[in-house]
Amino acid sequence: MSHAQTRDLSSKNLRSAVMAGAMGLAMLGMGYAAVPLYEIFCRVTGYGGTTQRVDAAQAATVQTTARVMSVRFDSNVNSALPWAFKPEQAVDRVSVGARDMAIYIATNKSEQPVVGTATFNVTPVQAGKYFHKVQCFCFTEQLLKPGQTMRMPVLYYVDPAILEDPETRDIEEITLSYTFYRSKNGIAVDPAKSES
Amino acid sequence: MTHYVKAWILALGLILTPATAMAQDALPAAPGAEAAPAEATADAEAPAAEAAPASGLDPELYTPMKPTEGVGMPVDGGLDFQPQVSETGKQAKWINNAILLPIMTVICLFVLALLLIVIVRFRRGANPEPSKTTHNTFIEIVWTVIPVLILLVIAVPSISLLAKQFEPAPEDALTVKVTGYQWYWGYSYPDNGDFEIISNMLPEDEANARGEPFQLAVDNRMVIPVGKPVKMLITGADVIHSFAIPAAWFKLDAVPGRINEKVLQIDEVGVYYGQCSELCGARHGFMPITVEVLPEDKFNDWVRANGGTVKGEEAVEEGEAEADADAETAADETTTEGAPAEAAAAVN
Amino acid sequence: MTTIAADGQIVDDHAHDADHKPAFFQRWFMSTNHKDIGTLYLIFAIIAGIIGGAISGMMRMELAEPGIQYLTGWVGAGASMDEALHLWNVLITAHGLIMVFFMVMPAMIGGFGNWFVPLMIGAPDMAFPRMNNVSFWLLIPAFLLLLGSAFVPGGTGDGAGTGWTVYAPLSTSGSVGPAVDMAILSLHLAGASSILGAVNFITTILNMRAPGMTLHKMPLFVWSVLVTAFLLLLALPVLAAAITMLLTDRNFGTTFFDAAGGGDPVLYQHLFWFFGHPEVYIMILPGFGMVSHIISTFSRKPIFGYLGMAYAMVAIGVVGFVVWAHHMFTTGMSVNVKMYFTAATMVIAVPTGIKIFSWIATMWGGSMTFKTPMVWALGFIFMFTVGGVTGVVLANGGIDDNLHDTYYVVAHFHYVLSLGAVFSIFAGFYYWFPKMSGRHYSELLGQLHFWIFFIGVNVLFFPMHFLGNQSMPRRYPDYPEQFAYWNEIASIGYAIMAVGVLIFFVNIAWAFIAGRKAEDNYWGEGATTLEWTLSSPPPFHQFETLPQIK
Repeated sequence: MSHAQTRDLSSKNLRSAVMAGAMGLAMLGMGYAAVPLYEIFCRVTGYGGTTQRVDAAQAATVQTTARVMSVRFDSNVNSALPWAFKPEQAVDRVSVGARDMAIYIATNKSEQPVVGTATFNVTPVQAGKYFHKVQCFCFTEQLLKPGQTMRMPVLYYVDPAILEDPETRDIEEITLSYTFYRSKNGIAVDPAKSES
Repeated sequence: MTHYVKAWILALGLILTPATAMAQDALPAAPGAEAAPAEATADAEAPAAEAAPASGLDPELYTPMKPTEGVGMPVDGGLDFQPQVSETGKQAKWINNAILLPIMTVICLFVLALLLIVIVRFRRGANPEPSKTTHNTFIEIVWTVIPVLILLVIAVPSISLLAKQFEPAPEDALTVKVTGYQWYWGYSYPDNGDFEIISNMLPEDEANARGEPFQLAVDNRMVIPVGKPVKMLITGADVIHSFAIPAAWFKLDAVPGRINEKVLQIDEVGVYYGQCSELCGARHGFMPITVEVLPEDKFNDWVRANGGTVKGEEAVEEGEAEADADAETAADETTTEGAPAEAAAAVN
Repeated sequence: MTTIAADGQIVDDHAHDADHKPAFFQRWFMSTNHKDIGTLYLIFAIIAGIIGGAISGMMRMELAEPGIQYLTGWVGAGASMDEALHLWNVLITAHGLIMVFFMVMPAMIGGFGNWFVPLMIGAPDMAFPRMNNVSFWLLIPAFLLLLGSAFVPGGTGDGAGTGWTVYAPLSTSGSVGPAVDMAILSLHLAGASSILGAVNFITTILNMRAPGMTLHKMPLFVWSVLVTAFLLLLALPVLAAAITMLLTDRNFGTTFFDAAGGGDPVLYQHLFWFFGHPEVYIMILPGFGMVSHIISTFSRKPIFGYLGMAYAMVAIGVVGFVVWAHHMFTTGMSVNVKMYFTAATMVIAVPTGIKIFSWIATMWGGSMTFKTPMVWALGFIFMFTVGGVTGVVLANGGIDDNLHDTYYVVAHFHYVLSLGAVFSIFAGFYYWFPKMSGRHYSELLGQLHFWIFFIGVNVLFFPMHFLGNQSMPRRYPDYPEQFAYWNEIASIGYAIMAVGVLIFFVNIAWAFIAGRKAEDNYWGEGATTLEWTLSSPPPFHQFETLPQIK
């Protein structure tokens, strides 16, 4: 091959390699972007039973319907968190569209102040996009002093649109489940500070 | 070269060891296999484990049922699926055995037949001069369209099966919450006073004594009523486990931090075994599942024997698994919520 | 070295300067020659295959009968039962990772890809010879890291016992100790190696084809490697991202997959299988390419429906990216998602069917001989069909509820990989071995190898369908005695297969000791690609004058 041909080929090769490398890098970026994208996707579509957050103003616009549905409250505590955590009542019957309040009760059974944080979802998973929470304690770090008991309210309603979706209209009971974990940041909480 | 040959003979010897091992008499069971569940029992949460020890339940209310050989468990040398005891299971098994398996067998035999035909007809001896054909649009369309049609034939029953499997549980369905732990299962009954059954694998001698298959039998079974949809809520406490009952075509992962739901309805009284189906660490193979399906009244007796409350009845006694005041409230609430369930039970 | 032949004819590549080889160390440790690097890859794959195969031998020994027979002994005196059971998980993890990342991929892409892509497209070498060398040498530390991980703490015992899927949270909070970190770094290095290789192949194939060789005249093996390289390039970075997040979750307190911090373990599975499903096509597509050449060669007939074959591979690659969640049918998804993944997965059967039938049509009307590579290729077609139809069964989300994570799945993917990919590797090896080494192997031993291996793997894997129907779960070191019968048969199958592998090594040895010298085109008129215009073995540098394709 002549020098010119060789030079042409190497610059062409370099161009191809850079393009290919860029594709690889883009996919690497996509891999990381999947984390927030997945979160957004879940929030928007209710995928995997992700519940919806709404503000009070929006909640006020919802019309109550005659259809009554059960909502079951489930609770889990990770073994690393020395808490008792239970719903005040296991099942509630609510009119679809009506706002309702559920109470979870958490007690710190240990001698130390402990910070917990909760994750949650609803089942059947396709009900996620119709389960609207106006107020809740999810993902907020909760500090409990030794022996302290706290009532944690969840203000929610079931969107009447659930009755129109063929995938969800036969649902008679929705389960809302919380799992409390010891907060990763809250392991060493200064008791003095937490008083303030 | 000789040392290579020697190495390979040695390697072959190593490889063939299982065959020689098989020739020996059955070895005694590994000691650790028994030690494993015993340790797990010790690790288990105390209250429930104490509430329901192996034979600690009131025998007037509940005695563990004997399993039926060949039902709810594998059969040695078995080829087919386990006999199905749920409607969706029967449907799924039918789809496999009446649609998928025949289609798959025919496809394989068809390909095999074509291969044998070309091997015989177009071997060099029979056909010394090869043709030069490289295209035939018609045949290419045929072998694209026919598989599509076959897939459509498969898709119709498959999609309808899926739709059926996802029919939601009725409001009054019994709820059982399953929690996968490393390495045992917990079954709690939130509608029945929220007691929790801790279920560990039985050691070999114990399983034999009870006439149950070792590595499938557990000390405390999950019990459900027959012929009624049960709403299964499944979660994992530490890592992902998977709750499976092959005889009911039922499998759902127990994922920590989230709840999964699926309806389980078993239409025949009996004992059905399953095994954890997601790798969960060292004793993944030693956390079996045993489900006992009882008539409604017997199920209620079993609930009472565990100190639980039967839906619609006053609490017989306080849920033993609960000690604090919160649980009391919860139990009361559950009872008041029992009214619609009672009505539904009357319909049945 | 830079003379141009004006008429475009291949000048004598047997000339002294074309075959001048560097000294040993320079040649094998600093190699920039695609054929030498290909040879290194093949040797590496064989070594990894021996280790991975020995591990599966240990597994079949343990599973030959109920009870824990050997694990307690292997783990050593003084170890607890849990450590012995953890060793089981280490074995299955290592077997999977080694066979996928260090045996099949290096053999197919690194070995045959490096050797024959430049030869088939008429290029003097790969586009980036030094990067090629880096690709290979990254595999060595990767492999050592994986092997080394077996000897450091990994939770319950030594080694990474997470399964090849490395699911969180078993791989994060469930496995304390450096073993899993080492395994993850091993995957990083192997992944980097493959990504560099993919960039190299894409560049080579797109830019360095001989004059006149349009994409639509390119040999199917080159097509298959091109599609595979794109799959690698698009899939592996996602794996890299996922396992990097595992690493930071493990060591730096992030909570990507940890529910305690708002993460989701199921997201890891989505990311893993977004890589993992294309990965299974990465392992089989080059095999499709090789089998196409072999079928055509031994039927003395051009490939039937060439364009259909090429674009079927492209279609398989594309669809392979949108079906991943069929590996996650039991994680708790809604009915619509499950229906979508059921339907999308079944679609893959169509291009796969096109390939199977096109191979048969290639033979139809041909003048077939049944030399060793051909019997392997014929075996491949049938075994891959069997593995393919069970894949259609598993694609049904509703049916999969019972079969998921049972031995049925194990049977399925071993039929497409151990009997599919591995058969095609052996087919390619026998097809090209005389070309690569310049020596003929023993035809008798090759045939013997095939028949014994064929019987062995079928006895080994076919009963696993029955075990799966009876719902024996995967990754179990022990089982209820109701599973004993088929497990014993399977272990006997392993021993038969092992004899077959032994014959393979005897055959290689025989070829080097007593093998006849191979002529340029020892398969005759059916072999039409460019590598057959060169000597066997080809000169150290070939195609210094580019061949002209009509």
